[in-house]
Amino acid sequence: MKHRRLGVLVWVLTIALMEGIANAEPSGREIMQAVYDRPQGNDMSGTLTMTLFDSNGKERVRVIKQWIGRYGRVDKKLMIFQSPADVRGTSFMNWSYKEEGKEDDQWIYLPALKRVKRISAEGKGDYFMGSDFTYDDLGDRHPSEDNHTLVRTERINGEECWVVESIPKDPRYMYSRTVTWVSKEKRVGVKRDFFDRRGTHLKTLNVRSVEKIEDIWVLMEVEMHNVQKKTSTRMSFQNVSINRGLPESIFSERTMVRGVE
Amino acid sequence: MKELIKSLIRKPWLVILVVVLGTAFSTIVVRYHTRMETDLDEYMPKHHPAFVFSDEADKRFRIRDSILIVLEHPDSIYNPSTLSKIVQLEEALIQFPEIEPENILSLHTAENILGTEEGLDVKPFFTDPPTDSQECWKIQQTVRSNTMVHGRIVSRDERATLIAVDLPDKAFSQSLYQRLLTLATTYEGPEKIYLAGRPIVEGTMALLGPRDMARMGPLVIGIIACTLLLVLRSWIRTILTLGVVLASTVGSFAIMTTLGIPMYTVTIMVPVMLIAIGVAYGIHLYNQADYYVKSHPGCDREAIVESVIETMFSPVLYAALTTIAGFVSLVTSQVYPVKYFGIFSGLGVATEFFLSMLLIPAGILVFGMGKVRTGRDTETEKIYSLTFGARIADGVLKHPKLVIVGTILVILLSVFGITRVWINTSFLDNFEKDSDIVKTDTLVNMRFGGTSTINVILDSSREDTFKDPAVLELMWEVQRGSLELEKVGDAISLVDYLKRMNRVMHEDREEFDRIPENSDMVAQYLLLYEMSGDPDNLWKVVDSDYKGANLKIQLKSDDSQTIKRVVAYFDTYKDRFAQQGIEVRYAGSGYKSMVFADLILRGQLSSLALSILIVMGLVTLMFRDLRLGFVASIPVSISILVNFGIMGILAIPLTSSTALISSIAVGIGVDYAIHFIERYKETLRQTGDPVWAGRFAMGLTGRAVFLNALIVIAGFMVLLFSVFPPNRQVGALVSLNMFTSFVGTITIMFLVLRKTYFARKESRK
Repeated sequence: MKHRRLGVLVWVLTIALMEGIANAEPSGREIMQAVYDRPQGNDMSGTLTMTLFDSNGKERVRVIKQWIGRYGRVDKKLMIFQSPADVRGTSFMNWSYKEEGKEDDQWIYLPALKRVKRISAEGKGDYFMGSDFTYDDLGDRHPSEDNHTLVRTERINGEECWVVESIPKDPRYMYSRTVTWVSKEKRVGVKRDFFDRRGTHLKTLNVRSVEKIEDIWVLMEVEMHNVQKKTSTRMSFQNVSINRGLPESIFSERTMVRGVE
Repeated sequence: MKELIKSLIRKPWLVILVVVLGTAFSTIVVRYHTRMETDLDEYMPKHHPAFVFSDEADKRFRIRDSILIVLEHPDSIYNPSTLSKIVQLEEALIQFPEIEPENILSLHTAENILGTEEGLDVKPFFTDPPTDSQECWKIQQTVRSNTMVHGRIVSRDERATLIAVDLPDKAFSQSLYQRLLTLATTYEGPEKIYLAGRPIVEGTMALLGPRDMARMGPLVIGIIACTLLLVLRSWIRTILTLGVVLASTVGSFAIMTTLGIPMYTVTIMVPVMLIAIGVAYGIHLYNQADYYVKSHPGCDREAIVESVIETMFSPVLYAALTTIAGFVSLVTSQVYPVKYFGIFSGLGVATEFFLSMLLIPAGILVFGMGKVRTGRDTETEKIYSLTFGARIADGVLKHPKLVIVGTILVILLSVFGITRVWINTSFLDNFEKDSDIVKTDTLVNMRFGGTSTINVILDSSREDTFKDPAVLELMWEVQRGSLELEKVGDAISLVDYLKRMNRVMHEDREEFDRIPENSDMVAQYLLLYEMSGDPDNLWKVVDSDYKGANLKIQLKSDDSQTIKRVVAYFDTYKDRFAQQGIEVRYAGSGYKSMVFADLILRGQLSSLALSILIVMGLVTLMFRDLRLGFVASIPVSISILVNFGIMGILAIPLTSSTALISSIAVGIGVDYAIHFIERYKETLRQTGDPVWAGRFAMGLTGRAVFLNALIVIAGFMVLLFSVFPPNRQVGALVSLNMFTSFVGTITIMFLVLRKTYFARKESRK
């Protein structure tokens, strides 16, 4: 009898505690959805400096001009390499569609070849421009693809954060789980740990700087460190401007060849 | 020192007790603290420039040895079952903690870049395993159009495909191999699944050798014990003689363990040496004891012991010293296992000397002469002058020409054999031709580029060197040429990627399967490859600043000739690369083991030459006669010649183990000579009769030498039945060295000794 009464007590307490948390904090899924849905502006342009550090400590710097715009159900992105000199003018364009299952359209222009080529690529597990970021890491992954759990709240770098663990629904996805620190104030992720398919720590993403531009939180400097390969990639943005009304016409093969005037 | 020994054995029980306790303690130390070093990299001299460079290159280009899992289907791999097995195997492999998911290359994980009408098609050959033959056919067509994959991941006849797993350093273990084997068996049928690759061969060898030795070792000791028993005709003598050998072996291993030095594969040779050498001391001491008893019937134990120590201390000491000198000369070796082998064999021999001088007299004091069943109790002098030994002494002197001509013939034959000696660093050749490992390797080599690799590393100080079409053209010329070399199966470099990209960017037109015309185009292709392909593959063939490149050559054999042929070929291009400011060097495990073996051999040969000089010096010092120093080196020199000669004739390759065995020629050959010369010299001094001295030395010491050789040969012949070919070679060579040292001592050395030493004494008189 005693035990049963105790059991009931524990049960009541647990429910009370859970409700307490539920009242105080949003669910893991809600947090991740909020991060995904946060305002990002209708267009954005700027200069991306990508520094790749290899396992031997050598670094390579690439400077890329970048334009991003949202036009109805299509997100368009244009990137033109500024340096190193031998790839200057190489450009890359991507149109991504909201429709489920519709593959992105992609083009590449190599100045040495003087021709624009279409690329059809499958799978988003690919690394972005040979960096330590995959396209998914850069924010392309929809929250519905994972199961999210709010694990705890924690202060890092002076910011109160939710710590959310996300486990992919597809067991064959390249990560077995990720853990994200989401700033309560800014609703942006500030740190993320990635675990490979065997559950071993693979990479850590650190957001080094976040700035508010045109009322939108923009990640200005991010760094991804692959602890297994001992490589890292730093991406930093300069001259960022948002909502300047980029004309859709700049996202064309013509601009890929001639550049943006 | 002699006095020290004499005072110590006044308490014989204590001596025995201390030795027994010491051995027991050593056994515990060895049993629980010895660490076996299986990582071959630990064997290499880390500061040798070739290794430093190779290790650095391994890191730069992520050069790793891979395990190859080959699926072979009787008809074609392009069927739903085989293709889905690739995926299943991969899934299973990922669960292995040693294997990093990113280091599995297969038809399923491979990235494919295809040129199409309007552009590029970047996608895997398949993501989910196909369900019908139509899909399989499509995959087949795609693979056929990609020369980076067709012939590399899928065999040209399309009946085999491989999954290559790049293993991190030190990740291979026998347990991993067993789990892989189990995995392979689980997925077999109708496909056959093979496991190959250097880690497997290397790992299995490192395990098989010592394991086989551990099985055969007790058998060797058992046979030696039986023969000893037959020869010494006493239990207690056999136990003491063997006890000395075993206690010394265990003792030196215990010291090695205490100093934190791990066991290496060549360390297995330490007990082999100590058994072969140590048995001799006991035999010589008992031989003297028996002689003394026979010539002094009714003497007491103290007198026997006194005689044994007085007569034998000096020759046994010098025999030990010369042997130790032979081993210690190995300290000059740059290779740590060999250095340690030298030190600990030397240490073991020193221990054997002390223990023999202590235990055997102590045994005589405690147990008496043992129940030696002597034959006819005739007059001693008669025994030694009319025995078989005496007849040999007379025979040798009666037919000097025969002995000399025979010796010359043996030397000539040996020299001929030596010209045919070949060095082999192949791991695979250590296995039986019909073993699974060899069969699998042959099969995989037949279907694919090769299971062995050598990396040609090209380095320049100029950035973007490897974007220069002129440099790339030269690389391609060399690469193409290398494919003409015997046993070279495949070669892959940055050029392959660039040619492929160029073709793909030109709608897959064959005429564009060439090096891009300018360096900007190269840079842009590389950027594109980085963006759409798997850049990790790129960093295996080029540095990220394009200052260095790695040309991977796949070989169908891991023997030194093949590797040397490739190195020689690339060396001929050194000047042309130098014109472009590029240095050519080599890396990879195959190359390292070749350099390593060369180091061992060169070290061993120079240490042999050195030890003959040391032996001559020591013997000269002992007898205070340069001529005797020369005479004593005769059996040693002949043994060494015959050792290498026979190796050439019987096609036993020079490897680190077989090269070390030649040390035994010094150790044994010189002992025989010293005992023999000492006995002859002493008898001659006492009697002044060279004929008698010769017969006596031959009869008494010759007999001991003969018995010694007989016992060790009997023991080591057992190794001829080993399942591990290198251990068979050890058995054959140890026996051979005992035999030639014995024959050399009683024939040519005796003849020269009789002629020269006698002549000098006579002239002086």
